[in-house]
Amino acid sequence: MKKKKGSAAAGIVLFVLCAALCAGVRLVFHACGQTEEGKWMGCHWAEQAVFAVGISLTAAALMLLIVKNSDVKRGLAIAMIPQAAVTAFIPNTLIKLCMKTDMRCHAVTKPAVIILSIMIAVCALICAVMNRESDRK
Amino acid sequence: MRSIVLKNLKGRPVRTAVLVMIAAFLSFAVFGGTLVTASLGRGIDSLEERLGADVMAVPKEATQKKRFEDIILQGSTGYFYMDIAKLDEISQLEGVGQISAQLYLASTSSSCCSIPVQIIGFDPETDFTVTPWIKRSCGNELGQRDIVVGNDLNAFVGDKLSFYGVECRVAAKLDKTGTSYDTTVFTNTATIKELIRSSLERGMNDFSDIDPDRVVSCLLIDAADGYTPEEIMNDINLHVKRVKAYQSKSMITGIASSLSGVSGMIRTLIGAVWLLGIVIMLLAFTMSVNERKKEFAVLRITGASRKMLSGLVMKEALAVGAAGGVAGCLLGMLVLIPFGDLIEQKLSLPYLFPGWGYVLVCFACTLAVSVISGVASSAVSSLRMSRIDTGIIMRGDS
Repeated sequence: MKKKKGSAAAGIVLFVLCAALCAGVRLVFHACGQTEEGKWMGCHWAEQAVFAVGISLTAAALMLLIVKNSDVKRGLAIAMIPQAAVTAFIPNTLIKLCMKTDMRCHAVTKPAVIILSIMIAVCALICAVMNRESDRK
Repeated sequence: MRSIVLKNLKGRPVRTAVLVMIAAFLSFAVFGGTLVTASLGRGIDSLEERLGADVMAVPKEATQKKRFEDIILQGSTGYFYMDIAKLDEISQLEGVGQISAQLYLASTSSSCCSIPVQIIGFDPETDFTVTPWIKRSCGNELGQRDIVVGNDLNAFVGDKLSFYGVECRVAAKLDKTGTSYDTTVFTNTATIKELIRSSLERGMNDFSDIDPDRVVSCLLIDAADGYTPEEIMNDINLHVKRVKAYQSKSMITGIASSLSGVSGMIRTLIGAVWLLGIVIMLLAFTMSVNERKKEFAVLRITGASRKMLSGLVMKEALAVGAAGGVAGCLLGMLVLIPFGDLIEQKLSLPYLFPGWGYVLVCFACTLAVSVISGVASSAVSSLRMSRIDTGIIMRGDS
């Protein structure tokens, strides 16, 4: 019973982290705005990519909360780990950000996305382990 | 004994969590504050080192609206020119030791990068300020169209950057300096002259009637032995028309005073937070021991000595201090390392994060301070508790 509660709590934390990544990249730690000429810089597309993967992660986290079967839960949690790891590499490694590293996309978006992605991956790992343990129980 | 300590802490999760959080908050304040203060100190040292020359001379127009100081100290972009004859005129002055000219240009947002970057061209034959630290990153001499980029620019060795239609190759990337030079592009005089010519041909230069071979932007001067930088600065300002000379040290005086103000404020805050935290922990331990008097009385009846009970309380405090210390330092690292650029930007001061050795020493010292504070604040309660009268407590006459 205690393990199940722990697993549910980890699931809720995971969902909150995924939702925070999704909403945050758009509202709080978004990338640089348009240039004076009205053009979008590279970082905008990195923001879009993180948002898209964030939606997929949030949907997976929501399913993890709804589904009752421990095996399915574990599978979902394991699938979220590489997804979160890839998200951490989107800003600047997969999609190049702006020229100066003191710009918003480097100073705010990149570290926030990396930290949240790592937290999601760790939390998903905990969820996967907890669901394996609740199976054993 | 160790298992009793852990069981006690686990048995009261809320109390333990609150105490750990207080210790973490204290450690975060000390660890973070110390690292920010150290970064600011390193930043100003780095700026002083990078300025290199004793005196800097620029056209008088460049001093209006503080443009020159903004370029050197704040990382703004801009350019200005004066006749190359000023170089000969100033080099003839008494007391001038070494002298070297630099040419400035700023890229436009559309030519290469998402935002403009400052380009500085130096003369490798005479330069004594930029070359020594460029040599540390780039062993070979810079060829035509070779550039060296500052550490905060998102370009790497071998990359091609185009400025005003001229494609340049990144020959080296400089080490982090914590100053405006981190977002600057350096190149030799020949390349920057080509870039200025190209900007003129495209009509993208604010100065339409200049000949790149006949102008300079800034003169860097070192005083000869027996002369002071102040004498040279005054001499230039008095005798060379339409040129303004600055003493490098006086340029950073403003920054140094802001820095000492910020550092002083941080130190005061650390002290205040620490004092408050210790008072809170002292109260928390006192309340906790009062509440657990019966538990301790039972332990005394079952054979635990006064010393053992004191040790129990102290060990609990030690565990709380250590856990909070580690958590606070890790949180500090999580905030300060990834968000270093943001902190630098918000402070608008030279900011150079210390090396890992310093960070680890800071981590260890903060942990030690956290543990000592935890143990010290529990010492009073521990002493009071060791004097309890078991009989009175068990009868409920406390």
